Amino acid sequence: MAISEEAIVRSELRWAAIAIGVVSVIMLALIYAGLVHHINPPSNIERIDPKTLHLGGEFTEANLGTRVSADGQVTSRIVATQFTFQPRCIVLPANRRVTLRFATPDVIHGILVSGTNVNTMIVPGYVSQVHTEFTRTGELLMPCHEYCGLGHSEMSAVVRIVPSEEFKPDAEGKVACDAR
Amino acid sequence: MDRTPDPLDRPWRVWASVAILSVFAFSLLFGFVLLPVIQGRAAGVDAFESICRALGIRPGSPSGRQPETSAKAQPTTRVAWSAELMDALANPEAAGESVAGSCAGCHGRDGRAVDLALYPDLAGQSAAAIYKQLHDFKSGSRRSPVMAPLVQSLSEEQMIAVSAHFAAFPLRPLPAAQFPAADPAIEELVARGDAARRIAACNACHGEQSGGPTEAPRLSRQSREYLAAQLHAFKSGERRNDIYSRMRSVAQPLTDKEIEGLALFYAATRTY
Amino acid sequence: MPRARWPVTHARNLTFAHLWFGFIAFGAALVLGVWQMWSRSPLPAPFVTSSTYFSSVTAHGTAMAYVLPVFLIMGFGYFVAETSLGRPLPAPRWAWSAFALGVAGALMATLTIFSGRAAVLFTFYPPLTASVFFYVGLVLVVAASWIWCVLMMVAMAQWKQANPGRPVPLAMFATVANAVMWLWTTVGVAAELVFQVIPAALGLKAQLDVGLSRTLFSWTLHAIVYFWLIPSYIAFYTMLPRAAGGRLYSDTMGRLTFILFLIYSLPVGLHHLLMDPEQSNAFKFLQVALTALVSVPTLLTVFTIGASLEIAGRLRGGRGLFGWIRALPWERPLVLATGLAFVMLGFGGFGGLINMSYGMNAMVHNTSWVTAHFHLIFGGTVVIMYFAIAYAIWPAVSGRAAPSLKAQRVQLWLWFAGMMVMTLPWHYLGLLGQWRRVATFNYADPTIAAWGPWVVVSLVGGVILLASGVLFLLNLLQFNVQREMHAGVVGELYAMAVHPPARVPAALNGFRLWNTLVLVLMILAYGYPIAQFFVGNPPQALVHRVDERR
Repeated sequence: MAISEEAIVRSELRWAAIAIGVVSVIMLALIYAGLVHHINPPSNIERIDPKTLHLGGEFTEANLGTRVSADGQVTSRIVATQFTFQPRCIVLPANRRVTLRFATPDVIHGILVSGTNVNTMIVPGYVSQVHTEFTRTGELLMPCHEYCGLGHSEMSAVVRIVPSEEFKPDAEGKVACDAR
Repeated sequence: MDRTPDPLDRPWRVWASVAILSVFAFSLLFGFVLLPVIQGRAAGVDAFESICRALGIRPGSPSGRQPETSAKAQPTTRVAWSAELMDALANPEAAGESVAGSCAGCHGRDGRAVDLALYPDLAGQSAAAIYKQLHDFKSGSRRSPVMAPLVQSLSEEQMIAVSAHFAAFPLRPLPAAQFPAADPAIEELVARGDAARRIAACNACHGEQSGGPTEAPRLSRQSREYLAAQLHAFKSGERRNDIYSRMRSVAQPLTDKEIEGLALFYAATRTY
Repeated sequence: MPRARWPVTHARNLTFAHLWFGFIAFGAALVLGVWQMWSRSPLPAPFVTSSTYFSSVTAHGTAMAYVLPVFLIMGFGYFVAETSLGRPLPAPRWAWSAFALGVAGALMATLTIFSGRAAVLFTFYPPLTASVFFYVGLVLVVAASWIWCVLMMVAMAQWKQANPGRPVPLAMFATVANAVMWLWTTVGVAAELVFQVIPAALGLKAQLDVGLSRTLFSWTLHAIVYFWLIPSYIAFYTMLPRAAGGRLYSDTMGRLTFILFLIYSLPVGLHHLLMDPEQSNAFKFLQVALTALVSVPTLLTVFTIGASLEIAGRLRGGRGLFGWIRALPWERPLVLATGLAFVMLGFGGFGGLINMSYGMNAMVHNTSWVTAHFHLIFGGTVVIMYFAIAYAIWPAVSGRAAPSLKAQRVQLWLWFAGMMVMTLPWHYLGLLGQWRRVATFNYADPTIAAWGPWVVVSLVGGVILLASGVLFLLNLLQFNVQREMHAGVVGELYAMAVHPPARVPAALNGFRLWNTLVLVLMILAYGYPIAQFFVGNPPQALVHRVDERR
C-alpha cells in the first residue's frame, strides 16, 4: 500500500477535528438560541395529582381557558383528557407574551399548535407549561399528538389568535371563544 | 487476560477520562449555570431561582415569570378514583344484598329494570360506573329528584357494596323481538367516530378493550329511553357530572337522529 | 482468517433459522405498514377501526423494532463468531434454547396483539396497560438476546485466551461491543417492565409513576437504535472494503467507532423526552451535548469508509477527484447497498441533528417528521444493509452459490426508491404540522386536505417497499433452487486493513475501561433524572387496561 500508517492516522485525526468542529457548531447554535432567544424545552417540574385534578382550584372547570391576571399576565389553562380538550377553543392575543398551562387527569397526551413552536407533552402527575408569543392572527389547530388510547385520532382543539384590540377580558379577567 | 498493565493503555484511559470530564464541565457551565442565569436576568428572575428552575427542583422556566392562581374549586363531581377505591370496589367489605333490596322496586332484584322505558338496568354494569352515579346523586353533582332522596342515607361502604353487587349480575339477554338492521352511519360513529366533529369512536371509551375513563359505563342492552335521555342531557348541558366534559363534548355535536340511532344500536347490540 | 470451507455447524443452522424468522416477521410487518399508510390517506381503506389500526401499529412496531433486529443480530452474530474467529461456537445448546425462547416470546406477543388486547404501541405508553402476555412475550425475546450476549462475550474471551496478545478480529470486536451495549441498553426497559408495567398488568398495582416509566424507557429508546445499526456498520467496516476490491482504511478507527457508540449511545435518552415536563432543562442540555458527541462515530465512519472505497476505486483504475467513484464495482450488491445507504444516511442523519436540537426540537416533536426520520434512517440506511448482509452471507449459510445478482440489485434499488418516495414527503408533512399516531385524518378540513396528495405519494412509496420486501424474500428462496454448491471460501468475506495491526492496546481489544466509563456516564447523566422520582412522593396515575373491562 502506498499510504503510510502515519499518514492514515494524521488524516483520521484531521477528520476527527472536523467532526468535533461540526459538533461544536451545533452546540454553539443551541447555546445562541438559548441565550439570545430564550428558547428552552418546556421543562416544568411541578407535580400535581392527576386523580384529584378536577377537585382542585387551578384546574377546576370554571377556571379553564384564558385568563388575564391583575398584573396583565395572560395565562391559558387547558385540560387534556380521553378524548377531548377542555376548553375545545381558546383565544389568545397576538404579539403579547402568554403562558399556556396543561394538565391531564388520566394518561399521556401531548399538543402542538400548528405553525408555532408551542409543543409539549402532557404527563399525568405534572403541569406542562409553555411560554410563547404568537406573531400571526388566525385559527390554529391544536391536536393531541401523543397516543392516548383509541380515541386519539379525533382529539383536537382550536387556538384562535386575535389582534390585541379584539382581546377583551371580562370583569373576572376571562376571555372565551365565541360559541360556534 | 491482561495481567501486566500495558504502557499503550494509559494514554487511552487518560484521554478518555479527559474527554468525558470536559463534556461534563462544558454542560455544567452552560446548561446548569450560564443559560439559566442569563435567561433569568432578562426575565427578572434571580440567579439562584433560575438555577433551581433549570435543575427542576423548583417549578417554572428560568426565562419566564410563574403565573399565579387563586381560583376557587368548583368540581363537577366529588368522586376521585384511587387505588384504594378500585380495590374496595373489587373486594367490598360489606355485602350488597341488604342495600340492594331497596333498589329492587325499580331496578329489579337481579339488576334488570322492572320497566326499561322508565329505569336503567344495573345488571352487569361496571361497579365503578354505578358507584360514581350514586355518589354524584348524593352530592348533587348529578341532579335527579327521584334518586337524590333515595341515596342520601347510603354510606360510602354501602354505595361500594351495592355497586359491586349489581355489577356481578349477568346482562339481560336480548329479547326475541326483531330489531331493525343497524344503520351504517351509526356503526361508523360507534367504531370510528367522526373526525370532522372531533367525536371519538364510542368504542374508544365504552368498548371492552378501550383503556378509557374508569367510570365509562357499559352501554350494551341498556334501556333505549334511558340512553337517549342521557345523551340529550349531556347535549344540553343539563347533566354535567362527566369529568372535564368528556361526554358533553361528544354529545353536543350529535343530531337528534343520531342520538336515537345510537340508543337503539346499544339497546339491541349483541356484540358490545 | 479461516481459509477452509465452512463445515456444517450449529452456527450455520442457527444463522439460517434466526434470519428467516426475523425476515418473515419483517414481511408480515411490511403488509401491516402499507395498510396503515392507506388508512391514514384520503383513500378509503378496508377493515379500519381505531382498534384494528392501533393493534396494527403495535404489531408493526414490535416486529420491526424488536423481533427483526434481535433475530438478525443474533443470527449474524453467530455467523461472525464462527467465521471471524475460526472456532466453533461455544455452547450451541444454549444458542438453540435462546432461539426457542425468542420464538415463543415473539409468538406470544403477536397472538396477544392480534387478539386486540395490546393496543399500546411498541413504546408501551403507561398507564395504558395491555395483557400481561404481551409484555412477557417481549421479555422472553429480550431474555433470548441476553443469552446471545453472553455467548458472544464467552466466544471472544475464549479466543483471546487461545491467542494471547493478538487483536480480536474487528468484526467480532464490534459484535461484542454491540452485545455489551445491549446488556446496558435493556436495563431501562427491563426495569420499567419488571417493576412497573408487569405488576400493573397482573393487577398487583392499580397505579404507577408515569414520569419514572417514561424516563426508564428513554434509557433504552435511544441506545436501541445503535444496537440496530451496529451490524450495518460491521458490514461497512469488515465486509464492504473487500467486496469493493480494496482494504479498510484504518482498523483502529473502526474499533474506536464501535467504542464511541458503546459509551455515547446510552447517556442520551433524555433527548427523546425534550418536550416532557418531568425532566429538567439542565439535564436535557447535558444529554443533548452527549448526543452531539454520538454523531461523531458516524462522521468518522463516513470518512473511513469513504477512504476505503477510494482505495478500492483507485486500485481499479479510477482517476481524478471523483473518478474512483465510478470505478467501483457497483454491480456487487454489498457495494450498491452501501452507496444507497450513505445517501439515505445523509438525509436521515441531518434529520437527526434537527431532532436533538434542545428547544428547537419543538418544531418537529411528535410530527410526521419524526416518523419519517426513523423510517429513513433505520428502515432505509440500516435495513438496506441487513438485506446486503443476508445476500453476502447466504452462500455460506445455505451452502449454495448466489443466484442472479441482478435480482438482488433490483430489490435494493426498489427499497431505496420506495424509502425516498415514502419518507421525503413525510418529512415535509411533519414540517407542515401533521401529527403522529392517527388512524384517519379529517380531510374535510382545508388545511388537512392540502396534505392529502402528499400522503398518497408516501403510500405509493410504501407499496414500492412492499414489492421490494417480497422480492427480497423471493431472492433468499432462490438460493434453495440453486444446484451449484457454494465453491468460495468464507475467508473471502472479511476485509483486511491497509496496515493490519500486530498489536492493539487493551483499551481497543476489550471493554473493561469502557464499561467503567459507561457506568460513570450513566450515573452522571441519568442518576438524578431517575432519582428525582424517589424524592418526595411523585403523584401516580391510575392504570387504564386495554385488555379487558374491569
